[in-house]
Amino acid sequence: MQRLWLTTALVLCCFASFQGLAATPLVVEAALDRQVVAPLLAAFEQAHPGIELSYRDRSTLEVNALTAEADPPPDVVISSAMPWQMNRVNQGYAQRLDSELANEWPEWAKWRNEVFGFTFEPIVMAYRLDLARHMLPPQTHADLHKLLSAQRDTLQGKVTTYSPSKSGIGYTLFQQDARYTDRFWDLVTALGDADAHLESNTRSMLEGLSEGRYWLGYNLLGSYAMVWAQEHPEVIVQVPQDYALVVMRTGFIHRDAPHPRAAQAFMNFLLSRGGQRVLAAQTPLFSVRPDIVGPYTAQRLRDQVGDRLYPIPLNASVLAFVDPQRRDAFMARWQREFNRYQRTPETQQQGDKTHVITAP
Amino acid sequence: MTQVIGTLKARLAVWLLVMVSGLGTLLLMEAYYSTQRAAERAFDSQLEAAALTTADSVQWEGSTPVVRIPPAALQILATAHQERVFYAVLDHDGRRISANLAISIPSAGQAAAAIEPTWLDLTQAGTRWRLHGREYDSAGWDIQDPVQIWVGHTMSGRQVLASELFERAIIRFVAMVLLAGILMLLAMRVALKPMRQLRHRLRRRQADDMRPLNARVPEELREMVEALDTLFTRQRESRDNLLRFTADASHQLKTPLAGLQSTSELALQSRDPDEWYRALSDVHDGAKRTSRLAGQLLSLARLRHVEEADECLPLDLRKTLHDSVLEWAQREVAMEHDLGLAELPVEPMIIQGQAWALRELLGNLIDNALRYTPPGSEITLGLNTIGNHIMLYIEDNGPGVDPEIRPRLFQPFERGGRQDTQGSGLGLAIVDTIAQRHAAKLQVKERRPRGLRIEVHFPAAGEES
Amino acid sequence: MRLIIVEDDPMIARSLYNALSPLGNSVDIFAHVRDARAALRNDHFDLMLLDLGLPDGNGLELLSELRERGDRTPVLILTARDGIEDRVRGLDLGADDYLAKPFSLVELEARVRALLRRSQQRSDNRLTLGPLCLDPTAGAATLDGVALGLPRRELRLLEGLLLHAGNIAPREMLEGRVFSFGEVGSNALEVYVSRLRKRLQGSGLCIRTFRGLGYRLEEAPT
Repeated sequence: MQRLWLTTALVLCCFASFQGLAATPLVVEAALDRQVVAPLLAAFEQAHPGIELSYRDRSTLEVNALTAEADPPPDVVISSAMPWQMNRVNQGYAQRLDSELANEWPEWAKWRNEVFGFTFEPIVMAYRLDLARHMLPPQTHADLHKLLSAQRDTLQGKVTTYSPSKSGIGYTLFQQDARYTDRFWDLVTALGDADAHLESNTRSMLEGLSEGRYWLGYNLLGSYAMVWAQEHPEVIVQVPQDYALVVMRTGFIHRDAPHPRAAQAFMNFLLSRGGQRVLAAQTPLFSVRPDIVGPYTAQRLRDQVGDRLYPIPLNASVLAFVDPQRRDAFMARWQREFNRYQRTPETQQQGDKTHVITAP
Repeated sequence: MTQVIGTLKARLAVWLLVMVSGLGTLLLMEAYYSTQRAAERAFDSQLEAAALTTADSVQWEGSTPVVRIPPAALQILATAHQERVFYAVLDHDGRRISANLAISIPSAGQAAAAIEPTWLDLTQAGTRWRLHGREYDSAGWDIQDPVQIWVGHTMSGRQVLASELFERAIIRFVAMVLLAGILMLLAMRVALKPMRQLRHRLRRRQADDMRPLNARVPEELREMVEALDTLFTRQRESRDNLLRFTADASHQLKTPLAGLQSTSELALQSRDPDEWYRALSDVHDGAKRTSRLAGQLLSLARLRHVEEADECLPLDLRKTLHDSVLEWAQREVAMEHDLGLAELPVEPMIIQGQAWALRELLGNLIDNALRYTPPGSEITLGLNTIGNHIMLYIEDNGPGVDPEIRPRLFQPFERGGRQDTQGSGLGLAIVDTIAQRHAAKLQVKERRPRGLRIEVHFPAAGEES
Repeated sequence: MRLIIVEDDPMIARSLYNALSPLGNSVDIFAHVRDARAALRNDHFDLMLLDLGLPDGNGLELLSELRERGDRTPVLILTARDGIEDRVRGLDLGADDYLAKPFSLVELEARVRALLRRSQQRSDNRLTLGPLCLDPTAGAATLDGVALGLPRRELRLLEGLLLHAGNIAPREMLEGRVFSFGEVGSNALEVYVSRLRKRLQGSGLCIRTFRGLGYRLEEAPT
């Protein structure tokens, strides 16, 4: 009799705890490869067994659209397309995070305590060893421009970079490049002149380099490129010596998050020592926190590259990048400069002729 | 008994507090509005700068105006407080050329902005926005229509700045109040120093020191010191009077006592019972006179030298008079006289008075009349109204008083020129004192065909107040 | 007739004793409140003469104790204090009369007689003064035992005078007794008084007029 009671109690206990564990779902819409952040997600799930994480890996375009249109809305929105993230925040789609971690987060990596940049990824050039055999590899933007002009025939069709129309990151990077100097447009002309291939992501560019289709890549995500280069010795990563842009993955809690407490727990984990340590040690995403030690930290990168890192600012100025008219004007100029010396119109890539206004 | 009603310092402090809190409320209200205005001005100028920067980026591409929104304009708009930002560029027909948010601008605002730069506060989805709109004259080759530029941001920075400024204003104000309070306390100490000195002076004085104070005091205390000096003078006079009175009184008491002593001494030397009887009878009279004298001295001393705290109350003089005459008519001393009351007025005769003192006054008047008139004399008391006054009178058909002596009649120990009575000579002095206390006037008149009439004129109640 | 004197001054006490004992009374003298209190508890007295300033307390306390017990023994207060307040308080507390020191013994005797008479009349409904006797219930008056056969108004007048015997009977009171409202003339009362005077002639009693005050029925001076 007593045993029966005991068993019943045990069963009830188990049932109750199971119920408790399964209680909180958490939906994260992210433009960030699941493979890359898998260790981070695993660490989060381990730290918060009560939260059932549903991580949905999407493109920046999809993430941006889902932020405004998904019903129910996601709890957390993560994307590398900083201007579009900022635009959503400015539209009021984010809610404040007022935890101690959020308040202590560096000012340059957050806006309004609503959106937080939690990675630190340098933008690099990459080239094949073949290139080094024929010419001096470029170390600066000026070097690149000179090289493209001088070795135009050798490099014809062997240069790749982001497509500003297909890739939000690419577009952002070019906008930022153009903000620094008008000579950027000479570089675009040179790229067009060298019949550069415009890819929609870093992975494609790296694959092209490894396969030998490309010799030189411009404006690649350093985080991916560095990991790639470790496994593919034929690819060399060059952090530009004049200036290197830095992009941040940004995340915010959706204003109408159905599970705000779980969302806060997730964001706090991203900003915490534990989360950042996983980023620094097990992913190539680079930790923002200065107190983390590991192969991939902003601090280590600064030590290696010096003061030439120019993060794309997490402030209202990047909102200009998503202004349709500004974007149209930029794209129009891009087309003009890219096609200035176009000798074979057939090779022109269709995608870059049309104006894509709405998509990052 | 002195009643302490707080300290001067407390009073000053309370007044200071009242004034400071009154003024403070006004000042703080002013500070609140001015800080709000200051914050508004500071942030509005940011809006203006952002609008101008944006205007600079408007260019015409053929027949359409194109805006390349400058990142700097957005940065200015966001301010250091990281406000959410809004911008919109409208063409001449109010169509949006460019905008980052779906905030609708009221048409009234658009109309106003067409005339001059304008400012708008509006709430969109629970968030308060401050908008600034201005028209920009931009000319293209084909069309020369102006465009309207609207910029705006959320208002958290304004609130933060305004409350910071207001907080500082409050701190300044509180510091000022504390400082003013401390200075006020110091000033009070200095200002009240003469009062402290005066207090020490008074405390050090001997009890019988009645000289003027001769103190150096500020104008405000002059009146008080003068009043004190007057008081000292009055006390000195009063003490002198009391001493004189005591001397007189003991002299007056000594006379009958000496008589008693000598009479009894003589009787003791004699063996004759008839002699004893005569002497005893003299002693009895003397004792009676002496005890009456002592009683009257006590009355007079008390009336003159002791401040009575009794309040004057309105009372009907008719009743007091009736009761007193009734009482005296039954006394043994009145057995031989025809003591009576004239017909009293029908209406009440109200005066402000002390009942016991008035009874004393009447008693002395009656006693006096009984003593200074021969047995069988008619003594009549009555009341009349003369104008505003109530006149109480007593008249007799006795021998009357010599007109020369009449003015002295009310002085102590005056017996109307007669030594043949057992009167003490104090009765009318007591009457006089009580009359003065009631602001009443005494008149002594001759009565036809013979006798004396004494009138007491009381002011009717209510006349003075 | 038992009298109690509470007086601490031996000279006054002795003269009071000497003056009052010839009236055929037994007189007890106490100098302390304490002793007087004990005596009043144990014995019945017809009159108390009470001094106020006593060595072990105030006479007024004794008076109030007496009245609180419901003891209606007449009390005559004697005191050197001539302050009106003590007098009023004494009367308020239930004293029957008041005499200020110094007083003449003649006056004292008169007051004592009046009080004793009043005290007696409480037990006996008849009103008497010397040879005169009036029975208010029967409505008949006798002089030396002989019925006077007084008319109604004269009887009421005599009753009023007898109620105040020894004291002045106020005119207003007498008028109120003799006449109905409205019918009183200025000399009307005097008419009845003089009729009564005639009837009392030779009886050793007389009615004295006090102008403006009233009348007093008293023993005629011999």
